[in-house]
Amino acid sequence: MDRRTFLISAGTAALVASTGGLSAPALSQGANAKVLRFVPQANLANFDPIWGTQYVVRNAAALVWDTLYGVDENLVPQRQMVESEEVSADGLTWTFKLRPGLKFHDGEPVLAKDVVQSLKRWAARDPMGIMIVAQQQELTAVDDRTWKWVLKKPFPKMILALAKNNAPCSFIMPERIAQTDPFKQITEYIGSGPMKFNKGEWVPGAKAVFEKFDAYVPRAEKASWLAGGKNMLVNRIEWVIMPDPATAAAALQNGEVDWWENPISDLVPVLRRNSNINVDISDPLGNIGAFRMNHLFAPFDNPKIRRAVLMAMNQEDYMRAIVGDDNKLWKPLPGFFTPDTPLYTEAGGDILKRKNIAEARKMIQEAGYKGEPVVCLIAQDQPNTKAMGDVTVDLLKKIGLNVDFVATDWGTVGARRAQKTPPGQGGWNMFHTWHAGADCLNPSSYTAIRANGDKAWFGWPTSKPVEDAIVEWFDAKDLPAEKTAMAKLNTAALEDVVYAPTGFFLGYQAWRKNVTGVTKGPLPFFWNVGKA
Amino acid sequence: MFGFIFRRILTTIPVMGFVALFVFSLLYIAPGDPAAVIAGDQATPEDVAKIRAGLGLDRPFLVRFAEWFFRVMQGDLGTSIFTGLPVSQMIAQRIEPTLSLMVVTLFIAIFVAIPMGVVAAWKCDTWIDRVVMSFAVLGFSVPVFVIGYLLAYAFALQLDWLPVQGYRPIKNGVWPWFENLILPAVTLGFVYIALIARITRASMLEVLQQDYIRTARAKGVSQKSILFLHALKNAAIPIVTVIGIGVALLIGGAVVTESVFAIPGLGRLTVDAILRRDYPIIQGVVLMFSFVYVLINLLVDVLYTLLDPRIRY
Repeated sequence: MDRRTFLISAGTAALVASTGGLSAPALSQGANAKVLRFVPQANLANFDPIWGTQYVVRNAAALVWDTLYGVDENLVPQRQMVESEEVSADGLTWTFKLRPGLKFHDGEPVLAKDVVQSLKRWAARDPMGIMIVAQQQELTAVDDRTWKWVLKKPFPKMILALAKNNAPCSFIMPERIAQTDPFKQITEYIGSGPMKFNKGEWVPGAKAVFEKFDAYVPRAEKASWLAGGKNMLVNRIEWVIMPDPATAAAALQNGEVDWWENPISDLVPVLRRNSNINVDISDPLGNIGAFRMNHLFAPFDNPKIRRAVLMAMNQEDYMRAIVGDDNKLWKPLPGFFTPDTPLYTEAGGDILKRKNIAEARKMIQEAGYKGEPVVCLIAQDQPNTKAMGDVTVDLLKKIGLNVDFVATDWGTVGARRAQKTPPGQGGWNMFHTWHAGADCLNPSSYTAIRANGDKAWFGWPTSKPVEDAIVEWFDAKDLPAEKTAMAKLNTAALEDVVYAPTGFFLGYQAWRKNVTGVTKGPLPFFWNVGKA
Repeated sequence: MFGFIFRRILTTIPVMGFVALFVFSLLYIAPGDPAAVIAGDQATPEDVAKIRAGLGLDRPFLVRFAEWFFRVMQGDLGTSIFTGLPVSQMIAQRIEPTLSLMVVTLFIAIFVAIPMGVVAAWKCDTWIDRVVMSFAVLGFSVPVFVIGYLLAYAFALQLDWLPVQGYRPIKNGVWPWFENLILPAVTLGFVYIALIARITRASMLEVLQQDYIRTARAKGVSQKSILFLHALKNAAIPIVTVIGIGVALLIGGAVVTESVFAIPGLGRLTVDAILRRDYPIIQGVVLMFSFVYVLINLLVDVLYTLLDPRIRY
């Protein structure tokens, strides 16, 4: 071989080596079909679903940890890890039995003692868990697969508590991990769910990787939300966090990612025009927009003024500010509960249909409004709250209230809304937020509907009729009784204006056409999702 | 020289101490509560208080500062409030992408901007000069994210030549690494190119007026040698100064560029930490960047001595 040929060959070899090798042969390109790249709604900064109750943590946790029960698409709790349950005639003793053959990702069997400790940790942070523990006599493992929960007073909603998909869900962890203080983070991420968390590849804020757990034993039933058989059709799921929606849209169009959880409305038309992309509603349970008034200080310590605001507001203005012109994405909501669900009610909701500015102005004057400024906290870094805030400020001015527009960020709102100081001294009169429809199906985990004064959510409403109706719902033994309680609750909550619902709105999800099995739901369900 | 370097390193200590106190104090008085963010929207005030106590955020300022400062002196930047991971580990995870982006940007900027500035000075007041200076104005005027979007649209979406987003480590191959950095580096480099080109032109114009340049021309030295051998070397001091100062621009610009192109670098880490009020990360990253900036300024001062033998410390 002459020198020129040698140099050319060596140079070519070096170039090939630096490019990471030759192109993958066709066989190994099939491996790519087993990797699903997903853009989640937010940054997965921590991964303890009991300690951190953000939706994104719950969504990821559902891959790694299984639950005893899970709600299906009809909102009916179904057995998941549980094989059977029994409740004594007096309703005080619940006995549960685990399915056989369940294993954790470290190969250890799932035992009743793991369940007991996991439930203890969960119950320390979950509103329904706290209620159960308040009535608890004992929670113990009977044998390796059986445990019992003995109460002092019947709790008919036990299965719902264990099945609900509101954070924190009752995820089952190994006993040693579940012994972590519920107000401190776990450091190991071992579960018995269909995917294992790859901690070595986790870059908090940028990437999270889940790998198929081959020893997972799915149920035989068809999958339906958090119930049924969780069959994984991909080997690896990569969560790619993309803070910029335009980048996520471009990456989806380019095929660099496969599924985007929540594209913003502005970009949906662009995605729809792409023949390789499907766009559809993500969660039929949607969201409920809200603003909360501070019941402790003027002017909103006066229920007449609160009701005047409800009377004047036009939910269409709020919803169009959030979703734009797409009528499929919103509907008015004369109440507090998720539409098209079994317990939905509009009882007492006429006040939200009045949309009468003049009448509201008159009511405010008659209520004796003295011109106190309304300190309105509006987070500018959250599109929903910014949009709603702009509408509210305009509304308040039209009905004659003085507005102090505080443009800030969500972190500051989170800190300031907890202050019970007067509005002029670091407190507040109003802030905007929204609630996932899955959290607003009933009062079970609906912290925002409570009106127990100091213990209530920010705004600290006090209303005995609301609290009585909630107790009535918890004690209700059948659906008609629950519906009666819900009607009373909705009416009382509007009468005392626990908060102001601004409407019901939906969002989209988008995925490439070679991805199959994507369903609608309150969280992204990865089981039965495949790639062609 | 070594004495000078040693003295400069010594002066870094009080500078870093001041930066540490300043950033800690700023975060302490800034509004926001990480415990509330962690606890989530549905948490009760009691939950938030327990989390705050568990994180030690309810302790007095001086206690918290002293504890943190003494740990930093031992090389421990603390633990992230949100992830529970050591701050140094989180920085180490993110440093390669940011460093790669800055190095490639610097490389592109220097090798594009300096020749541009030289040519603009050489062809002063011609259409070439005007084109170059217009480009410089554009580079200063158009926001980084707009440039990023346009480049991504043209070269990634339409032409499909380059990826839209992401980062691949260099251990996976040089070309895949570089391929992912081209668009972000050009995006970030725009304003840097504009700055360096303008300073190069101004500095060259001044040097080209000098007597020794006229002498070199009279002696028949080629234009290329005059420009790149004689003039550029003498014009280099202000150029190197601006390149050094511009590293701060790069750091700031990296935040936007990393967000636009979804690069998992330190810029994004910092923004996420600020939004979440993850104090240990913010403190750790600011300290690190301050230290790097001090070192770069030292390097620039040392480079002066190489470029101009008259400069001695």
